[in-house]
Amino acid sequence: MIDHILSLLIAFPLLGAVAVAVWPSQRPENFRLIALSALILEFLTAISLYFIFDKQNGGYQLGEVSDWITLPIGSLGIISIDYALAVDGISLPLVLLAVVVLFVGVISSWNMGQKTRAYFSLYLLLTGSVIGCFLAQDLFLFYLFFEFMLLPMYFLIGLWGGPRREYAALKFFIYTFLGSLLILIVMIGLYLSVIDPLETAKVVGILGSEDMIHPDLIPQIQQWLIDGKIAPEQLVHTFRFAYLADLGNYIPGSLLSASAGYFIADIPIRLLAFWFLFIGFAVKLPVFPVHTWLPDAHVEAPTPISVVLAGILLKIGGYGFIRIVDGFFPAEALYSTIPLAILGMISIVYGGFNALGQHDLKKMIAYSSVSHMGFVLLGIAAFTAEGINGAIYQMVSHGVLSAMLFLLAGVIYDRTHDRRIEHYRGLIQVMPQYTIITGIAFFASLGLPGFSGFVGELFTLMGAFQSNLLPVWIPAFSTIGIILAAAYFLWTYQRMFFGSFWYKNGPTHILTDLTVREKGMLFPLVLLTILLGILPGLLFDISGPTVQAWVDGLK
Amino acid sequence: MPDSTYILPAYVLLGLPFFAFLILWLAGKNLNKLAGWAGALITATGLFVSIKYADPGMLHVVHFNWLTIGSTSIDLPFRFDTLSFVMLIVVHFVALLVQIYSTAYMHGDKNLHRYFAFIQLFLFSMIGIVLSGSLLVMYIFWELVGLSSYLLIGFWYFKPRAVWAAQKAFVLNRIGDAAFLTGILMLFYYIGSTDFEVLALEVNHLDTGILTAIGLCLFGGCMGKSAQFPLSGWLPDAMEGPTPVSALIHAATMVAAGIFLLARIAFLLTIDAQLVILIIGTITMLIGAFKAMTAWDIKRVLAYSTMSQLGLMVIAVGFGSWQTALFHLVTHAFFKAGLFLSAGSVIHAVMPSHADESFDPQDMRTMGGLRKALPITFLCFSICAAALAGLPFFSGFLSKDAIITEGFLWASNFGLFGYLFPVLVIFSAGLTAYYMNRQIWLVFFGDQRFNASPNVHPHESPIAMWLPMGVLSALSIFFWFSFNPFNASGWFLHFIGVNEAAHLSWVPIIASATTFLAIFLAYRQMKAPDPFGVNGSKTAPETEKLSWLRDYSQEHYFIIPFSFITNYLMRIEKRIVDRFVDLVAKSSVVFAHVISWVDRTFVDGGVHLTVFSIRSAGQAVRSAQNGKIQSYFIVTAMGVFLLILWLVVM
Repeated sequence: MIDHILSLLIAFPLLGAVAVAVWPSQRPENFRLIALSALILEFLTAISLYFIFDKQNGGYQLGEVSDWITLPIGSLGIISIDYALAVDGISLPLVLLAVVVLFVGVISSWNMGQKTRAYFSLYLLLTGSVIGCFLAQDLFLFYLFFEFMLLPMYFLIGLWGGPRREYAALKFFIYTFLGSLLILIVMIGLYLSVIDPLETAKVVGILGSEDMIHPDLIPQIQQWLIDGKIAPEQLVHTFRFAYLADLGNYIPGSLLSASAGYFIADIPIRLLAFWFLFIGFAVKLPVFPVHTWLPDAHVEAPTPISVVLAGILLKIGGYGFIRIVDGFFPAEALYSTIPLAILGMISIVYGGFNALGQHDLKKMIAYSSVSHMGFVLLGIAAFTAEGINGAIYQMVSHGVLSAMLFLLAGVIYDRTHDRRIEHYRGLIQVMPQYTIITGIAFFASLGLPGFSGFVGELFTLMGAFQSNLLPVWIPAFSTIGIILAAAYFLWTYQRMFFGSFWYKNGPTHILTDLTVREKGMLFPLVLLTILLGILPGLLFDISGPTVQAWVDGLK
Repeated sequence: MPDSTYILPAYVLLGLPFFAFLILWLAGKNLNKLAGWAGALITATGLFVSIKYADPGMLHVVHFNWLTIGSTSIDLPFRFDTLSFVMLIVVHFVALLVQIYSTAYMHGDKNLHRYFAFIQLFLFSMIGIVLSGSLLVMYIFWELVGLSSYLLIGFWYFKPRAVWAAQKAFVLNRIGDAAFLTGILMLFYYIGSTDFEVLALEVNHLDTGILTAIGLCLFGGCMGKSAQFPLSGWLPDAMEGPTPVSALIHAATMVAAGIFLLARIAFLLTIDAQLVILIIGTITMLIGAFKAMTAWDIKRVLAYSTMSQLGLMVIAVGFGSWQTALFHLVTHAFFKAGLFLSAGSVIHAVMPSHADESFDPQDMRTMGGLRKALPITFLCFSICAAALAGLPFFSGFLSKDAIITEGFLWASNFGLFGYLFPVLVIFSAGLTAYYMNRQIWLVFFGDQRFNASPNVHPHESPIAMWLPMGVLSALSIFFWFSFNPFNASGWFLHFIGVNEAAHLSWVPIIASATTFLAIFLAYRQMKAPDPFGVNGSKTAPETEKLSWLRDYSQEHYFIIPFSFITNYLMRIEKRIVDRFVDLVAKSSVVFAHVISWVDRTFVDGGVHLTVFSIRSAGQAVRSAQNGKIQSYFIVTAMGVFLLILWLVVM
């Protein structure tokens, strides 16, 4: 079991999705119970993964590899696609976050009234794809999961969303799809350029069986590759992350080979590929100026989908930056670090100002997400251990906090179907518990020490300050973001919750305090943000060794 | 005593108030009766522990490991030395008195448990600042102090003005904190630590220009918390909070945190940084003093006066003498807390017995002649006011004298222009004497104007209120700080490490002369037909509207630029960014169409596959208007296909 724990993590939700889809009964309670049990299994597996994981080890762990597709295509060599999974200190925190948020999401979907079969089936499909994205070690597999995420998300917004759901769903789809198109283009280029040295060695005939592998083998094959000793039809092309990250595996003279140095319109083709990948993931993160799908998608999405969208989907963008964009094109990333950091800085400040101007509670939170995810980009662009660790931390922290914020927005929306901030006043009089939890979420999000948000912002900023690649003014200017965060959160808090009670439309008796189910979702998240805020070591211990190895590898 | 013995007091001093906060907050209204005395007891314990573990002149540091990432290992050091000892005593002592006072003043409030819980939270954070051994730890507690201040100013959450003031205080503080954080992170970059011990050793290796920048960034934190120009607007508004809170937080302790910070980092302030600090402090001091002369609200006068005195302390740091700043901080903490508590007693006394909307119990124009009804309050208020005004034989005289002396010594090194600063300090001391006379006269002398409301029946406050006032006014007498009333360099300055305090014998004479001149001018006003314009119309005087520091009604000092940028950027978002990206999306569909047209015309449509792609692309573009998702799928898939074709052929 332990050997296949990662496969189990992907299998549980996917099996659940199938089970929901074919379950004979029509009673909606069954579907949500199946979904819940799949997520409970997922949760328990993730907990055991946390304990099995060796925190001292900075490399990949618990890897699973098996050949999936092998296809000789003549002079173009041999296609080899593997089913490869592994986890390391960068992906584990995000897997754990994903499981927690998706679990909360299921509870939040409890009263989803219509078309429950389709809803929970799609939800579980989404769950499996998200987890798969974080675990995949083969670019093809990753891309598959990445695209698989889009489809359920499109329908979940488009069918269960608010009044302008079609528009929002389509906008979401176009943006992310164009983004993944750019990723696909680079993927093809990578595929044409990179070989799997071990498989190639087998084909060439110098490697008989797996136990004959010795450390000199790969350099030997790479030397042969440079010398042109291997016929094109004997080259085994690969998508494996590990091989894509090693420049020695690039076929000399191929499209993305560093030594060939092709140009398109005076731009090195590798730099172009880097920016294509960057934009592809920037849409997800989101980064200014490709963030505009986010507010619309959030406003129209039903509460649990907003929670999942902000809580995890955005993190795949950040994960992709670290693992894929920077992982495969480190030299180009180092070369482009200042524009990246500036984009991060603009996202922080621009998102903050836009959040300040919103009237819709969900839009305010959505723009605050843009601002907070800007810190992630800033931290990654710093290329220091502090910055990358901070970025991972910020992703987890924002995952917890944005999930909380959208749940809280959902609480008020469920009662009144009205999210306009000015339509409420003095909610503390009728919903005291709701007010306190919202206060905690707001203060945690604006970066108050003692909560997780502070640690994430502190270390991304610290990493950016310590980076020799970035001028000091970029992180210094970014601190405006923490001023703005205080302004928009506290202003919203003051307008909605304090003063004498007043609600613009309809009866006021529907404004009741939190139910048991809502508290059950919110309290664990409150505890999590406090726990992470006081003991940041819980997370840094996992990510630290891996990130250190990653940063050392760049040098 | 070895350092390890200080682990226990560190836990006790921080742990007690924190758990008191949790218990009082979570226990609910059941504890309303007990909360005040429980809080006072815990603070008294804290005071006892601080005195028991006092080891003046020695330095003890306790480290707690927090986390390690990359090359940065982050400890949380806590530091016990003379400076933290002095601050611990002041904070605990004033907090103890204020809590006793609050049991009577806040009597009957239905959220009393929360009030005392928040006070404990404030104490936890303030003690954290005082004990912090590195700037990072200080920043953490700094923010928490901001939170407790927010909660306490906005304690009466049903009053819109109070909540607005709370939020304004937090946001203006955040502006300073952002600079503070930048300074901390710059220190991490250049030195790799913010530990005060490490900084003291390493700071000389830094380039002066960078050090100046760092010093000014850190000063930003002080500008927020200690209400320095231009971040000072929140302090007068913070008076919307309960009066004991104003005494504790916005007079004695929290606002002094900025001065404490400057005292801690005094060694890394360069000459240039000191000059900037000096100028900012002077501007703040003068603005505060002038505003105090025209305000009518009894608490606002004191708030502006606090601002002015904080400016004076900042000036002392600018003169390069943090010790005199600390001296004034301590004397000011006692007499200003005493003034606020006495003002609270006055407000308590003139509070209408039935709700009366037209009567403002804080407006000095509807007071007057209260000395007969409130003899104890009058005595306490007058003693503390005398200390603030800097009359001889009172504590304020000594600390001001010390600062002015330092000023003249500094100026003699700086040059002619430098003499401007100590002269302005003396001038401002004169203003202080003037506005305190005005306030005492308006409140306690003259006609009894409170008859404006028939429901007002002034009465002396209960013992739980006047006892703390009495203790604080007793502490405003000179002999607690120096046995010679005309020589500031008494035991206190020696205690905090000034061995050879300068003494210019003519400074006390000049300063006293100015004070008495101001009192004489105020006296002439009292005898005037319309003293201080008290009988004039109740509209705000013209100067208030033109002033730099807007009041509640003119809330646009920072808001206007911010909302301007916000609106502007939102417009950009709607009109440009969104449209631009949409344009890109649409044009790529068009591009696919063009490509397919090129393909059809030039590549010859012989191949089946190509024909297929053209047709689907064409259909895709046409049906794209209907928003069909499939069409986008096909268009993009075709685009990919063409690209693959191109790559393979290449």
